[in-house]
Amino acid sequence: MESNDSLFLPEQARIIGERELTSNTKLFDLNFENGKELNHEPGQFVELSIAGIGEAPISVTSSPTRGTPSFELCVRAVGNVTNALHRMNVGETVGIRGPFGTGFPAEELKGHDLLFIAGGLGIAPLRSLINYVLDNRDDYNEINILYGCKKPCEQMFEDEVSNWARRQDIYHEATVDYCPDEVCWEGNVGVITELIPGVDIDLDETYAVVCGPPVMYKFVLQELEKKELPHDQIYLSLERRMKCGIGECGHCQINGAEEELYACQDGPVFNYERIKGFEEAI
Amino acid sequence: MKPESVKPKVAFFDFAGCEGDQLQVANMEEKILDLIEVVDVVNFREIMTERSEDYDIAFVEGSIATDHDAERLQGIRENASWVVALGSCAAIGGINSIRNSQPYDLVQDRVYGDDADKIEAWDVAKPIDAIVDVDGYVYGCPINQDEFVHVVESLLQGKDPNIPTYPVCVECKMNENVCVFARNPEKNAANIKAAVDNGSPAESGPFCLGPVTRAGCDSQCVNEGTTCWGCRGLVPNPNENAHQEVLEKYGLSVDEVINKFNLYFGWQQEELKNEQ
Amino acid sequence: MKAIGKAEFSNFVDELIADDPREVIGVQAKSNKFAFDPLKSAEDLRLDYDVTILPPKKYFMPQRETLVKYNTNEGEMTAVNEVIPRIIFGIHPYDLIAIQQMDKVFEETHSDENYLAKRRESVLVGVNMKNASEWSFAHTMGTATTDSGYDLMLTDIGDKYAVEIGSVKGSELLEEAKSQLDDVGMEEIEKVREFKEELPDKFRDDPEFDPFELPRLLSEYYGKDGFWEENAEDCLSCGTCNLVCPTCYCFDVKDVNDITLTEGERLRTWDGCMLEAFAQVAGDENFREEKAARYRHRYMRKGRYMYNKFGDIACVGCGRCSEQCVPDIADPVDVFNQMKEGTNGI
Ligand SMILES: Cc1cc2nc3c(=O)[nH]c(=O)nc-3n(C[C@H](O)[C@H](O)[C@H](O)COP(=O)(O)OP(=O)(O)OC[C@H]3O[C@@H](n4cnc5c(N)ncnc54)[C@H](O)[C@@H]3O)c2cc1C
Ligand code: SF4
Ligand code: SF4
Ligand code: SF4
Ligand code: SF4
Ligand code: FES
Repeated sequence: MESNDSLFLPEQARIIGERELTSNTKLFDLNFENGKELNHEPGQFVELSIAGIGEAPISVTSSPTRGTPSFELCVRAVGNVTNALHRMNVGETVGIRGPFGTGFPAEELKGHDLLFIAGGLGIAPLRSLINYVLDNRDDYNEINILYGCKKPCEQMFEDEVSNWARRQDIYHEATVDYCPDEVCWEGNVGVITELIPGVDIDLDETYAVVCGPPVMYKFVLQELEKKELPHDQIYLSLERRMKCGIGECGHCQINGAEEELYACQDGPVFNYERIKGFEEAI
Repeated sequence: MKPESVKPKVAFFDFAGCEGDQLQVANMEEKILDLIEVVDVVNFREIMTERSEDYDIAFVEGSIATDHDAERLQGIRENASWVVALGSCAAIGGINSIRNSQPYDLVQDRVYGDDADKIEAWDVAKPIDAIVDVDGYVYGCPINQDEFVHVVESLLQGKDPNIPTYPVCVECKMNENVCVFARNPEKNAANIKAAVDNGSPAESGPFCLGPVTRAGCDSQCVNEGTTCWGCRGLVPNPNENAHQEVLEKYGLSVDEVINKFNLYFGWQQEELKNEQ
Repeated sequence: MKAIGKAEFSNFVDELIADDPREVIGVQAKSNKFAFDPLKSAEDLRLDYDVTILPPKKYFMPQRETLVKYNTNEGEMTAVNEVIPRIIFGIHPYDLIAIQQMDKVFEETHSDENYLAKRRESVLVGVNMKNASEWSFAHTMGTATTDSGYDLMLTDIGDKYAVEIGSVKGSELLEEAKSQLDDVGMEEIEKVREFKEELPDKFRDDPEFDPFELPRLLSEYYGKDGFWEENAEDCLSCGTCNLVCPTCYCFDVKDVNDITLTEGERLRTWDGCMLEAFAQVAGDENFREEKAARYRHRYMRKGRYMYNKFGDIACVGCGRCSEQCVPDIADPVDVFNQMKEGTNGI
């Protein structure tokens, strides 16, 4: 029988724009067919659904301050859903459930210095917060953005990145793990952790916001530890397997010594103080 | 439905196997009519005579045991965009790999008798991915029709099929079967006690390879009251030792356990050993 | 409390099977075990069973359930909820308590109608335990009896069943047997009391822990070196201990298409945290790669997570996992006793 109150029925959204960012990553601009707004917070995600293929959790990369009612997803083709999306064209529709999860604490960060650390695709959720902060520039103090990729051709959002580099009110450094000889690259070469010592950190004021592949966190946290940045001034966005996005399916659960958390509800953004004792978290 | 011109062409090939898997496909009745709506079958000995060398998807049945087989398989690989292993012989070496653990002369004698010297077969039967790259697997001896449909459907949609990595027990429990190891509690208890007291079981016990065998068949053999023989091959990371201990505890001799494991897992066990 | 003669009760069940539009389910023998299945005749109902292979959760959260149907040509998706109204006979108290825990999960998180509608449309007829499986430790977990969670509750008092009414749904069902009901006197009330008094003797006597110590013990043992590795060594990662558990509800979601590629269904299927790929993501990262990590995770879910969230211990002591784990390593009593005794596993 048909059901009107299913938690699993996606709403149709039309692809209104599509842009290649790297060889395997594309930016999609989406609009709900029924005209509603997504109403997300930076750091939240949606379940993107393609009938016949499945669903995948994807962060909303656009800031709620820009381009509404449409919203952007930055998607790397790694598997069934993401590859199928890459094969789709402007004008076609996908399903969206959400927004879900706990995003970045944009309010709490107000009045503080911010240190954004993005590795690879981790720029996708961070970009939402970065642009939110830039659109409310007066509410925030100093802004530092560190952005690392494997190689120059993997850097995304070049126009925005070069704008950060030009702006006087942003400290910005980019790095690549390596740069092939024939490629011209003005940024640093080396892993992202090497950029951290160069940042001015005010132990009372600076909040670090980190997002990247699972392997990156350990090393970034070690560097921040050296700087003695208090743990409750660090926010991380974690990736887990997710099937429902609404705290039911159990897949995203993370166990700790004292409690357990659901990445889809309690996260994906976590305060480091809260999860540092979780063997399974980092 | 796809227009006629872009329907992918499908061909079926057989090597050392019983063709039971092609039969499963041929027996699909209405489903095969649906299949024919989405693909063009150009080469299928079970149901047609005309042949073509022009195909996109090659379903290969049977394991590879001679140089000639290997060459022919390589030719198929060159022609096809997708090569799919159909059935356990092609996917995991299957029942043909039972002889991998036995002396080769003996096997030849037993199988071919007086003709033994005329056959130039390798001393092991290999799954097709030991020779060429493989894009998809339909496990089972014989294959499960629904899973075959799922694999075809997935290939046509450009997605990886969803093939379980968990063991048969999962499906067996969902079907609420009485576990093979619980069918005869009195006998089991006596066996386990004898094993503890005398170091060996009283009589040969029950066995089921479900806990180490890849699911996807809907536990059909246990549903029908028999047991899982392991025809779909080992799960990716089997806890073989633990399960062998279980079988011994329930009253299988060490040799019996080895024989059960060799029935379908011959090639895979070699592979696992080499990995370690 | 009311009472009904056993013959009258059988008639009542047979009439429901014949006339009630709802599906009538009851515990029946399945070779040498028991299972909840549709009843063909009251004769098949075995209210003296010890434990069923699967818990009755399969009626509210089926093994495979369609959530959404779609047509890929038209890009259309429709939500579906297959609700079959049912009367279910013979649920033991521990399973009734487990169902109440599941209700909280599906209500308090997001109000999951696919589960809740099936619950609303079911009438639960409980039965006090005449027999207990040799593995059951319901008494220890405080789930051998229950005052809530049933619509009707039966107790075998010899030639009659005592019937307690737990809800409006229950009394409505009983309406249909009205003429056959007896009022109860002191004698029947006394018999029910005796029945419950004798219950503890039916259960194994080896548990040494108190259920409400479990969250603390688990926190202590979470990081205990070697403890989980030792206990999980023979684990086959077969998921049986999840699938048979009345309080396990984790699921997978997948799309299944027909071969013409136009129509298909999005299914939710049972899943289990003991299965190797449960926490695996693209790029081969697996957040609980080792069987010991998965084994620990299950215990955390049973003994602590639900307690932190809802105040419930999510093991109701049914003993299904203990009995059905092939290498015999899933018995919670064994693990909880080890913690209580202070073993460190090495
Ligand atoms: C909160 C969150 C935000 C994310 N944001 C982005 C983003 O902005 N851009 C982006 O490209 N990717 C993002 N990812 C990763 C993305 O979800 C996975 O790459 C994606 O699920 C892979 O799905 P697939 O069907 O293409 O791959 P397959 O490998 O075919 O996946 C099969 C199924 O496994 C599960 N799965 C596999 N990998 C993951 C994973 N990494 N995380 C969760 N489930 C997984 C999914 O349920 C998926 O349906 C995010 C993940 C999470 C948890
Ligand atoms: S597959 Fe075999 S071992 Fe596993 S539950 Fe079924 S009968 Fe038991
Ligand atoms: S139950 Fe075992 S032997 Fe039977 S089809 Fe499945 S995998 Fe093969
Ligand atoms: S039932 Fe036993 S073997 Fe199977 S997953 Fe659970 S603990 Fe492991
Ligand atoms: S953990 Fe085991 S004993 Fe406890 S409720 Fe689940 S199946 Fe029953
Ligand atoms: S994604 Fe299902 S519980 Fe978090």
